[in-house]
Amino acid sequence: MTEVAIEGLSKTYAQAPVLRDVSLRAASGELVTLLGPSGCGKTTTLRCLAGFVAPDAGEIRVDGASVLHLGPAKRDFGVVFQNYALFPHLSVFENVGYGLRVRGIGTAEIRRRVADALAVVSLQGLEERLPRALSGGQQQRVALARALVIRPRLLLLDEPLANLDARLRQEVRALIRGVQQEEGITAFYVTHDQAEAMAMSDRVAVMRQGRVLQFAPPREIYARPMSSYVAQFTGEANLLPVEVLGAIAPGRYRFAAAAGQGEASGPDGIVPGTRRLLMARPEALSPAGIGLPGLSVTVRAMTFLGAAQQCDAATSDGIALRLFLPPNLDLDPGADLVLDLDPEHAWLMPDEAP
Amino acid sequence: MNRRISRLVLGIPAVLLLIAFVVVPYIEMLTMSLRMPGSGMPYGVGFTLGNFGHALGDPLYRGALARSLMLGAVVAALCLLLSYPVALHLARVSDRWHLVFYVCVVSPLLVGVLVRNFGWMIILAVDGPLNRLLLTVGLIDTPLRMLFNQGVVILALVHVFVPFMVLPITNALRNIDGALVEASASLGASDTRTFWRITFPLSFPGVQAALVLVFVLASSAYVTPALLGGQAVALLPSLIVDQLIGALAWPFGAALAIVLAAAMSLVVLAFTALSRPLAERTST
Repeated sequence: MTEVAIEGLSKTYAQAPVLRDVSLRAASGELVTLLGPSGCGKTTTLRCLAGFVAPDAGEIRVDGASVLHLGPAKRDFGVVFQNYALFPHLSVFENVGYGLRVRGIGTAEIRRRVADALAVVSLQGLEERLPRALSGGQQQRVALARALVIRPRLLLLDEPLANLDARLRQEVRALIRGVQQEEGITAFYVTHDQAEAMAMSDRVAVMRQGRVLQFAPPREIYARPMSSYVAQFTGEANLLPVEVLGAIAPGRYRFAAAAGQGEASGPDGIVPGTRRLLMARPEALSPAGIGLPGLSVTVRAMTFLGAAQQCDAATSDGIALRLFLPPNLDLDPGADLVLDLDPEHAWLMPDEAP
Repeated sequence: MNRRISRLVLGIPAVLLLIAFVVVPYIEMLTMSLRMPGSGMPYGVGFTLGNFGHALGDPLYRGALARSLMLGAVVAALCLLLSYPVALHLARVSDRWHLVFYVCVVSPLLVGVLVRNFGWMIILAVDGPLNRLLLTVGLIDTPLRMLFNQGVVILALVHVFVPFMVLPITNALRNIDGALVEASASLGASDTRTFWRITFPLSFPGVQAALVLVFVLASSAYVTPALLGGQAVALLPSLIVDQLIGALAWPFGAALAIVLAAAMSLVVLAFTALSRPLAERTST
């Protein structure tokens, strides 16, 4: 059971700040994902946690005690690397048993614990193989077993699925999350893939240019983004400038846009008359019933996707909106359409509208 | 198919060069080693195995062969000890400094073999600068006789062969993924343990190549032992030259040369065979 508190972490490389005042917390047993594009500081944050990089400022506390003065060998954290980092000259058994041998554990117990760890990742029978004789998915399982077998206080995963193909990615993703929850290990997970972040995490930290923009559970990040950057990085997001007309219930507002009027959710205390950016996910938009009010748009393009059709439309003032329609609906570009907006999935963001 | 042909074509110059300057001379030398000794001329009429009997039977030549092989082994071992830390450093420095250190490492090779050896003779002479320095500092009372012994031969050979050791090992070290060292540390291994369990084994392909290279070069070195070793140490290469040029006994000289080459090959084969399990695991 491990709690982690990262406070005010900063790091500068050759005058370029890569981390600026990063603060995060992980409760015991929680999986926290650091999500962002390359160069956003997510990997540097993880490397500070692992002890491979010393931050210029800030503090990392594990169960209340600072770990900054400890080298990586003394932290007792399991690290899983993007390129697996298996020792190429050691067999699967020797790789997994490495951390146990280092700890001076007896041969019999090493054998037992390695067997257990390999069973957890379903790799029994491959003990004597060298890593290069394994597939990518098997190698990453070995890497996971090697990190778990030492019963680490904290599990750190640096884009562990990035080198796997799409099918394997799902499989190993489920395995990692399953083991992590079963063993109740606190974990930090780095990725640039928003779907991965949504699927795996208890909480997601969206990072950009060395800063944490928002740190919240996946559903909140997705439905209540704090900025248009977070909205767009975590999925398809339609952004519509609107004028707030007034509150109709706590956290629910009526708004007006060039395309029409509607209702949307928003944080408390928005003053009527302010201009805001409305964020609507494609699934918040659907064709309104005949004769009912909504947002008037013109269809620009229809793309058949199989299970659905992607409809790209635009309002009269040129704002592009994307939504998904049933595959059998027959609509041609140029057709006029009135859209119903689900207020639960429409969110007035703090950004002021232009 | 086309690629295979073009690869063969690319190999032709090297193969021709090897045939002209290695295979043909070796055949010629092997033939020579089987000829009858001549009197008043380099070789006689007819063939014999007697030259090899002489080369392998005479304790003088057996001893010289053993000393040459031992010299090669000692020089290779000392080179490894001196070169590995340098290679570790060279593998880690940034690209800007890499060139500077690279030039420093290669510098012994930039001086011709004669100049280098005469340099040692001047520095180490009885009235040379090193003796004068030691006298001035007061470490010695009478000048030391440092030249013409096996030690100075080893010193000079180690000096010139260090680059042959440093470069392959540096290459091997640079090929090691830094994440492996981090993984080892994160699993709780100390720096020392990580070095012996991860870094050193993974650099072994470079170490193996370098040891073979230096052993062969040092065992067969002629100029440096001849100039710095004096008469005290009889090494096989200088005995071979004595036979070929001094005594003009070409068949016997050729037999000695074949014996030296065969003995070095055996040592190299034995070493490669013994280290094969490790080399197979660590080569990528």
